[in-house]
Amino acid sequence: MTSLVEIKDVKKAYQMGDVTFEALKGVCLEIEAGDFVAVMGPSGSGKSTLLHLVGGLDRPTSGSIKVSDHALETMNETALAKFRREHIGFIFQFFNLIDNLTIQANIELPALLMDQKDRKAIRETSQTLLEKLNIADQAHKYPWELSGGQQQRVAIARALINRPTLLLGDEPTGNLDSRSGEDVLAILGSFHQAGQTILMVTHDARAAARARYVLFIRDGLLVDQMAGGDARQIAERLADLG
Amino acid sequence: MDAILQKIKADIMSRPFVSVLILVTIIASSALLTLALATLMNISVPYDKSFEHLNGAHLWLQFDRDRILRRDIKQIEALPGVVESTGVQYSVPVRIRIGDTRTQVSLRLMPAEMPAVNRLLIQEGRYLLPHEKEMLGSRELHDIYKLAVGDTIGVTRGDGKQIDMEVIGLAYNAMWDTYRSSELPYLYATEETLRSLYPDDTTWEWSLGLRLADPNAVDQIVAEIEGLLHKDALKEYTDWRNVRESAVFEAQLNSVFLGAFGLFAVLATILVIASSISSSVLSQFKQIGVLKAVGFTGSQILLLYMGQYFVLGVIGAPIGLAIGIALSPLPLKSIAASLSTTFEPPIQVGFIALVLGIITGVVALATFGSAHRGAQANIVKAIATGAESPQKKPFWGVRLAERLGLPMPLVMGINDVFVRPLRSFMTGLNLTLGVIGIIFGLTLNQTLETYRDNPYLLGIVYDAVVTSNTLGYRTTQHRLQNAPGVEALYSEVLVDAETPEGETFEIRAVEGELAAFPFIITEGQLIQEDTYEALAGQGLLDWLRIEVGDQITLILDEKEARPTTWLIVGRYTETANAGQMLMVNQAVVRKLLPDVEPHTYYLRLRPDVDKAALKYYLEPRENADLSIAFTGEAIPSSVIYLQWAIFSLAGILIIIALVNVFNTSLMAMQEKVKTIGVLKTLGMTPGQVVIMANTTAGFMGLVALVLGIPLGFLLTRSILDVLATTYGFGEVNVTINALYIVLLIPLMILISIAGSTIPGQQAARLSIVKVLRNE
Repeated sequence: MTSLVEIKDVKKAYQMGDVTFEALKGVCLEIEAGDFVAVMGPSGSGKSTLLHLVGGLDRPTSGSIKVSDHALETMNETALAKFRREHIGFIFQFFNLIDNLTIQANIELPALLMDQKDRKAIRETSQTLLEKLNIADQAHKYPWELSGGQQQRVAIARALINRPTLLLGDEPTGNLDSRSGEDVLAILGSFHQAGQTILMVTHDARAAARARYVLFIRDGLLVDQMAGGDARQIAERLADLG
Repeated sequence: MDAILQKIKADIMSRPFVSVLILVTIIASSALLTLALATLMNISVPYDKSFEHLNGAHLWLQFDRDRILRRDIKQIEALPGVVESTGVQYSVPVRIRIGDTRTQVSLRLMPAEMPAVNRLLIQEGRYLLPHEKEMLGSRELHDIYKLAVGDTIGVTRGDGKQIDMEVIGLAYNAMWDTYRSSELPYLYATEETLRSLYPDDTTWEWSLGLRLADPNAVDQIVAEIEGLLHKDALKEYTDWRNVRESAVFEAQLNSVFLGAFGLFAVLATILVIASSISSSVLSQFKQIGVLKAVGFTGSQILLLYMGQYFVLGVIGAPIGLAIGIALSPLPLKSIAASLSTTFEPPIQVGFIALVLGIITGVVALATFGSAHRGAQANIVKAIATGAESPQKKPFWGVRLAERLGLPMPLVMGINDVFVRPLRSFMTGLNLTLGVIGIIFGLTLNQTLETYRDNPYLLGIVYDAVVTSNTLGYRTTQHRLQNAPGVEALYSEVLVDAETPEGETFEIRAVEGELAAFPFIITEGQLIQEDTYEALAGQGLLDWLRIEVGDQITLILDEKEARPTTWLIVGRYTETANAGQMLMVNQAVVRKLLPDVEPHTYYLRLRPDVDKAALKYYLEPRENADLSIAFTGEAIPSSVIYLQWAIFSLAGILIIIALVNVFNTSLMAMQEKVKTIGVLKTLGMTPGQVVIMANTTAGFMGLVALVLGIPLGFLLTRSILDVLATTYGFGEVNVTINALYIVLLIPLMILISIAGSTIPGQQAARLSIVKVLRNE
């Protein structure tokens, strides 16, 4: 397998007044295409920062990040935006749907931001996703008319509309009840089965157990990793990290 | 209270740019309001100042020389309401030549020392010296004939000979009424000079100027004087209030427009403040939740936001007031300068309180709604969502834009217009006011251009005016008919008329080829020959409350002439005397007043006329009997000045609108930080974020154009109609150049885009990570 994501000695520091806070202190990581990786760690450990850097939302202070052969640290804002829309799909804890766009319009939004677009193809893709995620009957509704679980399905469909090479999830089940969370994880699992590469940050051991392997991060460093599958073992390892 | 004050200070200081913009808007509105109010309230101050300085006469009486005695004058001066008198003033109607122009003036005797009552205001040169053969000209001669100090004028003596005399000064007389077009301009000389020109002082006309204890008791004093004198001894009189009204006419016009724009500016301020505050409150929704959570009550939140903007109002209103006061002499500058005085607006406590009260009241009013909404916010919802729920269902226009396949940033931009419909409405309305202002200026400009190109539309239906000095009617008529380049002519004599109710006005008694002149008959038809038919100016119809088709009974010229009844068969555009004139058949008037003979002839010339040849034909020598004047510029310079004033004010409105677009865009971007963060995450480029912001503002600019263009046109038409009716001009043909509209469209969109680009760029630079971390 080839590496889809290559992270080499990445450091990220934030300046907060006179104080410098090092969120990542030299992270190295490779993710192969088609992989499903979960990142776990206590609050403030740097897991979200890692996700943001891989997604091209932020730039490292030092080190290099390559995703799908794109060296992100060398790209300007516009190039990064285009990179995100073509290669990355994001799923957020709070769904972040646009309130006054219909479900279908929300899903199609990233595709419609593309320079070259085939509206008919976009509509067909969104329809397929709506059906695959079992929300086809909600297409003309607005986000506030849907349950949390349904909204997260919409967010997943939106993340997948441009067939991204990498799907990033930031606590995708964090704002859902357990049943809805299970449904979302099942969906992510099925897309992974179909070849989608996924990198997911989570606090939830059961969610992390869905991944092929789990990375543990603490104080800005990757400190451990283990195979997914057993939620209890993952929870124990997380507890050990404090 | 300390906590609220601290928070108010912190909020203002933490958003310095927005605070400064709102402050600038408040200052601009306060300045414009001050300017408009100062002009409206002090419109007659320059005249009043000059009048008092010159110890002007409140009442000017002109007597019939044959029916008045010196003891009558003494009795008048002894009336209880009379405070001071000029003593008998002597004058002679005299023909003079100024350059190539011949005209008639009233040559008035001035004492060696400047009189105590109704002194002259020497504007240029000096006062008359004893024993010198010299003349002092009136300002009107300078205005009409460009008479200047040092010029030599030809004065026709009593024996018919003409002698040259030097003009040594120009003076303003506070009792010369520009309203009556028939009143002769004044020329002044010493008694010695007058006697040398007109030795027979029994032909000198008598007049008397009086200062009254109660300046408003003119009518009562006139009635008392008429009771004292022989019937018809008092020929006519001038009321100082009418002169004052004439003097402030131009400033009145300015004040009408300034008032309209001042109102616009205050409205624009309400909109700017309301939309800015509304946005500000919404963008701080989370903070409101936190403040309420830590113990702020609803009324304290209300006080907090009211306080923030009230502070800006309290700072901005006095600054604007000071600027307005500093600028307020400008609108009245020309009138003050013409009266050789200056205008310093009185700094009265009441006036200051009025401006400050209006501006701070407007600020408080504009703040209240949004602040109240913030005060009512649900704590949990405010902290959890950080924003008040936007309008959720999109406007049909958004769906249409989607269906039309517009790029997504444009669709999102249009969508944003309807997310906060009230705020968008306020910003759109503000832009609309700007468009209305520009259209107002453009329409007025185009209308004036039309009238300048075609003076016939103004009612100036002739190409030249000829005045005869000594030639008789038939000879003049014959010479004009044979003059080169003359296509048609009619003669005119002005006759005084009085209604049975005592209203006096002037009649144009005309005769000739009237049908060849493009009289603007706005209703009815032209008068027929040898009939008691009359055309009336709009001003006369309005004044006497009569209509076309009505009959009017009049006593013409002399009171012993029998009253006659005239049928008003039409309404025409009359430019003189505020339209308070009547046009009748001269032949009929001659039957009633056999001595009446025209001295004025109006000519219509062939397009290829050689004006020099025509002038030489009519005025072959220095002391020619006829003099000709060609129709000059139809638009007075004061109106051109007004045009520029309106464009300047429209510019101010546009700047206010630009500030509002900027403010609204900035606030909208701050409010939707999270949405922009999400959109950027999904791949919206910085350029697309700016386009989105531009589209929102551009769409509002477009709506403003759609609304503002017809509204501006209608407003201009309404204002000009009101003015035309007020001043008796009749209907105004309002026009606008389509090219201006075509150019205005990109201009307004550009302004909207310019106002939203910086906020858009700020949003484009937004750190996605910071947004996501704040979730």
